[in-house]
Amino acid sequence: MRIEVKELGFVYSPKSPFEKVALDDITFTVNEGDTLGIVGSTGSGKSTLCRHFNALIRVQRGEITVGEIRLHAKKVDLKTLRKNVGMLFQFPEYQLFADTVKKDVEFGPLNFGFSAEEADAAAREALELVGLDFDEVASKSPFELSGGQMRRAAIAGVLASRPSVLVLDEPTAGLDPRGKREILELVTALKAGVTGTVIIISHNMDEIAEFCNRVVVLENGKLLADTTPDELFNRSDIVERTELDYPHTVKIKRLLAEKGVFIDSSALNADELSAAIAGRFKA
Amino acid sequence: MNEEKSDACGKETAPLPEKENDFTTELPSGTGTPSDNAPVIKAEGVTYSYRSGEQVSRGVTGVSVEIYPGEFVVILGRNGSGKSTLAKLLNGFLVPDEGVVTVNGTDTADDDKIFKVRSEVGMVFQNPDNQMVASVIESDVAFGPENLGVPREEIETRITEALEIVGMESYRKGSPNRLSGGQKQRIAIAAILAMRPEVIILDESTAMLDPKGRREIMETILKLKNEKGMAVVLITHYMDEAIGADKIYLMCDGEAIASGSPREVFSNEEAVRLAGLELPVAARVSLNLKKAGLDVGFALTDEELAEEICALK
Repeated sequence: MRIEVKELGFVYSPKSPFEKVALDDITFTVNEGDTLGIVGSTGSGKSTLCRHFNALIRVQRGEITVGEIRLHAKKVDLKTLRKNVGMLFQFPEYQLFADTVKKDVEFGPLNFGFSAEEADAAAREALELVGLDFDEVASKSPFELSGGQMRRAAIAGVLASRPSVLVLDEPTAGLDPRGKREILELVTALKAGVTGTVIIISHNMDEIAEFCNRVVVLENGKLLADTTPDELFNRSDIVERTELDYPHTVKIKRLLAEKGVFIDSSALNADELSAAIAGRFKA
Repeated sequence: MNEEKSDACGKETAPLPEKENDFTTELPSGTGTPSDNAPVIKAEGVTYSYRSGEQVSRGVTGVSVEIYPGEFVVILGRNGSGKSTLAKLLNGFLVPDEGVVTVNGTDTADDDKIFKVRSEVGMVFQNPDNQMVASVIESDVAFGPENLGVPREEIETRITEALEIVGMESYRKGSPNRLSGGQKQRIAIAAILAMRPEVIILDESTAMLDPKGRREIMETILKLKNEKGMAVVLITHYMDEAIGADKIYLMCDGEAIASGSPREVFSNEEAVRLAGLELPVAARVSLNLKKAGLDVGFALTDEELAEEICALK
């Protein structure tokens, strides 16, 4: 599903002493099949932007079109929109609420008008997708699960409504390295079959480098860049001014270049970089 | 196992000892070699299990730890490895089922002396929002010393000092609500510092922060160690944060499966793999290159790796 954002602006508490411009004249397009990273320092407007995508925040100025749905229209079919745009907030495990995992995961589908059987099937499928054993966890309290499992259960809750766009606000924050990798691999697997389009907010440039095909950079509510990770990390002006980090692979390549060793490769993960370096020195 | 591996690594990089010196001088050195003194915290063969009804789940098994004055110690491990349990045992939050934990010689199992133990070992937790008790920052920092019965004038001095070291003195009269996560965590650290502990334990205090917040906390830790000579224990699953440590305990399934300097622990591939952690990118690349038959020594940081590679020319 395609998302078009045109000249989007947003002001918190307008016309009050606390007035704050959160978004200013943002224009970009998310194509079907994209894994789009949204980066920028804290307070740059990333979350405000994403909350527009399923109309948790109504459009104040500008236009957003999600598939066929025009969010800037007077009347928006919220039910269809929210079924199609699944949103996972930061630390989603804090949003689990029901007394069993099954009820928690079924909550969305039931609200979107699935029948009891359909919701049950959807919950089963979603839990399997995130790698939890339905029979084992279904009747457990979500609070008996481990941290990583809770996050998976929360993701299952979003997936159960079968969204075609998945918006993830820092999906790996606070997880250990293996938990992180599991979530990111899950997202990659979901993209292959379930949700065509994924939008990820992240502070972790190693993740952006490895998993996203496109990235937009926000700074103080303005769109600073709409590019690919590889291009972005070549733009030291942007990276440094927004206090983003470089992925380690890029740092290593830059350090080597300073010393006169040029690695001609767009490798953004450790193994590819190793191969590129080995190739250069063995030749 | 640990020793063997680090030796093997040492042989390949002939100038290793020198390098290690280089590395430690990068992080300004603390209060001399800690091993001359007695440890502030000593845990010997500590075991602890959680019980709820019939269910018993293991926290830690047979772990021994020594924390010396002025040391920066990292307890590293994935979620559920027992690292937080270990942290809570170190200041008497939990009392071991087996084994003994002493703080300056005082047994943490001694109920009468628990306040002494807690005033000597302070703890900062994961979620910065859960640790604020007051609506004005200076009152938040004053909360600890007030409870210890410190006189008012003295408290004022302590607030100033504590906020200065975490770099938040200009926020003194402000409210904690509008602070970033990193700033809130620094206030939480100041609130502990105001009680003048000898050791500060940070239990995953960087896990919920963005990279900038994490950097702020890491800088604060080094300042505490270098300027105040305090011992700092950081519980984390980020290997990056452990690179500057004096000593690492690597936890896995409730046991400390490796310990030593970052170089010793990280070059122990087997232990790192068992613990389910990911090596820093530089370390991974250096190991890959060695496997590919290049003469590259084990590198911890991006800078070290770049130097190793340039030496190939």
